Amino acid sequence: MPLWGMVIDLDRCTGCQACAFACMAENNVPAVGPAEAAQGRRIAWMQILDGSSGHGPDGFIPRPCFHCDDAPCTHVCPVDATNRTPEGLIAQVYTRCIGCRYCMVACPFDAKFFNWRRYRMATLEPNPDVSIRPKGVVEKCTFCHHRLQRARERARTERREMAADEYRPACMETCPTGAIVFGDLSDARSEVARLAHDPRAFRFGEELGTEPKVTYLSRVRRHA
Amino acid sequence: MHDEARPPLILSGPFAWKEVAVLGAMGVLLAVGLVAYAQQLTTGLGVTGLNTPAYWGLYIVNFVFFIGLSAGGIIVASLVHAFGIREFRSVARIAELMAISCLVLAMMFILLDLGRPDRMLFLLRHGRPQSPLVWDVTVVNSYLLIGLTYAYFGMRADLVRAAASPSRRRWLHRILTLGYTDLSPRALARDHRLLRALAVVGLFAAVALHTVTAWILGLVKARPGWHGAIIAPLFIVSATVSGVALLLVSVVFCRRVLGLPLEPRAVRGLGTLLTATIPILGYFLFAELLTVMYAGEPAAMQVFNEMMFGRYAPVFWGNLVLGLLVPLAILGATLLDVSRRIAVPAVLLSSAALAAGAAALGLRVPGVEGAPGYVLIWAVIAAPVLVVLLAPMGTETRLGVAGALVVLGVLAERWNIVIPPLIGHAHLPYPRGFYAPSGTELALVLGVYAVGGLLFAFSARFLPLVEHE
Repeated sequence: MPLWGMVIDLDRCTGCQACAFACMAENNVPAVGPAEAAQGRRIAWMQILDGSSGHGPDGFIPRPCFHCDDAPCTHVCPVDATNRTPEGLIAQVYTRCIGCRYCMVACPFDAKFFNWRRYRMATLEPNPDVSIRPKGVVEKCTFCHHRLQRARERARTERREMAADEYRPACMETCPTGAIVFGDLSDARSEVARLAHDPRAFRFGEELGTEPKVTYLSRVRRHA
Repeated sequence: MHDEARPPLILSGPFAWKEVAVLGAMGVLLAVGLVAYAQQLTTGLGVTGLNTPAYWGLYIVNFVFFIGLSAGGIIVASLVHAFGIREFRSVARIAELMAISCLVLAMMFILLDLGRPDRMLFLLRHGRPQSPLVWDVTVVNSYLLIGLTYAYFGMRADLVRAAASPSRRRWLHRILTLGYTDLSPRALARDHRLLRALAVVGLFAAVALHTVTAWILGLVKARPGWHGAIIAPLFIVSATVSGVALLLVSVVFCRRVLGLPLEPRAVRGLGTLLTATIPILGYFLFAELLTVMYAGEPAAMQVFNEMMFGRYAPVFWGNLVLGLLVPLAILGATLLDVSRRIAVPAVLLSSAALAAGAAALGLRVPGVEGAPGYVLIWAVIAAPVLVVLLAPMGTETRLGVAGALVVLGVLAERWNIVIPPLIGHAHLPYPRGFYAPSGTELALVLGVYAVGGLLFAFSARFLPLVEHE
């Protein structure tokens, strides 16, 4: 069983935001508009944080959902609307979510987002593979789970095993400097598993024991 | 035991104009609240001031607050039936009624907070036993059941008597008896035994209720300021304090406005109980504060700095001064019958000592530098105590005012518990947000308060709320 994970090389990140925009287009993420954004209601599954503002390494920090292997958000959900798939993806079930926002409160990394209103989508053409969220539910990065389903279906119709590199999230595909590496962490020979044990590797919130599956690489860091 | 010849005490006669005014005001608030709710249902929770990272706001603050008030009510009611403390006997039913109404209000606040209230029943159909929220749903509903059973058995005999009386409202009381008619001494003795057993169960349920509510916050490791063991005992203490205080206010209101014949010794007793429990709350708060400040861990310090010196500092210091210190001084001076000749200099001196203490600790009032700042602190502590002690009002009203201050103080404390940990610290370098409730949100909160007021007012009117000695 694969264990999907990501490595983000901060030394390569230029902060160009291509990953953030690719994510919005791919996942039908709404643009909430300036008034809502000013209220702190932006929805950004992939968000570029400014590391110079405090802890963490200087420079840009692209932040998807960390898909923690022991995810606090899944522990507290009262109705099983957010859960861990067998392959380690943290899913959100929009048809089940009651909008209590307990998972958002429990996420140490503020990686979940709420539909405070009925928002309009950022793109004109929605991606038919991704459901559009109604108002009142929580949404989050899925590591482009629909792309995994697609790749798996294609492999099945072609009567073969899916190769790990057939599943690539939109952010990774778009990154112009190759700062984002994605793959199967359980395969020790994969690039993502090798980089996750690089001397430059670190994870955020290590002290919380949530076992994030997103690892960062940085030569210099003040405090991880 | 009840004297069978005596009719149960139910208010009769037309509504007094004061009552009509209060009910009218509640009705207006409720109507405004309903409009606000329609707006929230159609537009979404966007009509509130909530955002990232203030995922929870005034609704959850009030949810926790009313759970606390409810637990406090049951604790007092249990004192009467479980431990036979007769002093509070005449107010036991008011305490039960208060506990039930507050619980209903708490449930309403949870419903308001849901993004998808239409999926509320998913909590039962798909409830996960690992989620503290599901524990709370379980305990809140069990508690409501216990509370209603308790109120039914406590009032049944009086309801039977009322149903047999020639009153115009006897149909209501007949429905509320659920068809029961037995008034034999054996039946009354059995009700009494049942009540005692239920009181013990209720006491445990009250502790469970508030403990589990505390765990909704306390078990979240992502939020320093919530995560910790002290939050559950702290919630039990603040529940008792706020519940006793609200009961004191309600009893004074019932005696002075509605003219219900509640025993004056109950008012004094509640005042004494409140005076004894406020210092325990202060002790818990101090224990938590000292532990955090002494260790100085950055994450927890960010939360406490936001709470004590950040944008919500007035809520923290306001609670400390107006919600704890001032009412404690008023209660102490009133209950001990301290003469004005002693009380005035004592208040002036002790508040001056506190202002000097603030100076020694280097605490400052923002915007007011140097000596005027400390004079201001002195005045803010001393003035409200002196105003209440010197104003021409009776002992009871004075105790009621102190109770109201404590209730507001605990509401402020709930704010301090819920809000600063959400916006004070982030594990990643986010710009931290801010939360202020919107007008719609406030209207909704006031609307729910009005429901509570109406529930209470109608029960006080139509139910046998006073138990005979």
